[in-house]
Amino acid sequence: MPPVLPNLRVNVLFFGRVRELTGIAEESVELPNGTTLAGLFDRYAARFPKLAAFRASLVPSRNEEFASWDTPLTEDDTIAFLPPVSGG
Amino acid sequence: MSHIATEDDLFTLRRSPIDMAAIVRDGQDGAIVTFDGFVRNESHGRRTLYLEYEAYEPMALAKMKEIGQLIHEKFSIDRVAIVHRLGRLEIGETSVFIAVSAPHRAAAFDACRFAIDTLKRTVPIWKKEYFEDGAVWADGELPPAPPSAPKVAS
Repeated sequence: MPPVLPNLRVNVLFFGRVRELTGIAEESVELPNGTTLAGLFDRYAARFPKLAAFRASLVPSRNEEFASWDTPLTEDDTIAFLPPVSGG
Repeated sequence: MSHIATEDDLFTLRRSPIDMAAIVRDGQDGAIVTFDGFVRNESHGRRTLYLEYEAYEPMALAKMKEIGQLIHEKFSIDRVAIVHRLGRLEIGETSVFIAVSAPHRAAAFDACRFAIDTLKRTVPIWKKEYFEDGAVWADGELPPAPPSAPKVAS
């Protein structure tokens, strides 16, 4: 039998155009251990096909810091997929 | 003059108008440079009705404080204030206000310019522009992507 990976739970936030596209501002999701930011995004892209086209124009954040897509997630992380910023 | 952020610095996100008179001078300073960014009445030739700003608030504040820390390190300045509005803003209302005080003007000019340029690239705030015939999220700038995560030894 393959080993059963424990799961982890993270909080995911959406802002701006991706909040409007998904209709989600915030949700908690359970994921297999070892999931990366890219893996989490792919789940959302499968759920919201229009989101896939946005990937090149998003930067992920993990716990309020910009992060690279290959960053593995850990329990209780707060993740966001940030569109290009337009403050000022 | 301080090379590190101090409790005299000010970083806020607010939904009510910015009181610029609250950004005061200090006796040891010789100059304050301010940047007042306000809502323009058009965008790419279309008449703007109003704007709405939203932020990832805790991260935006953290990034604003990082900018403060960075300009304290890079320039000979005394204090910095960075205030950004959120929510609906009408034409002409101040959306972002930055004030930098310093003993001498050159550092204050350079630091203020650096602060607004960096804010526009790195602080997670988004602007939606409302026109007579619809609304769009402003194009914006993609923050610089960090390097790949360090490989964890397995």
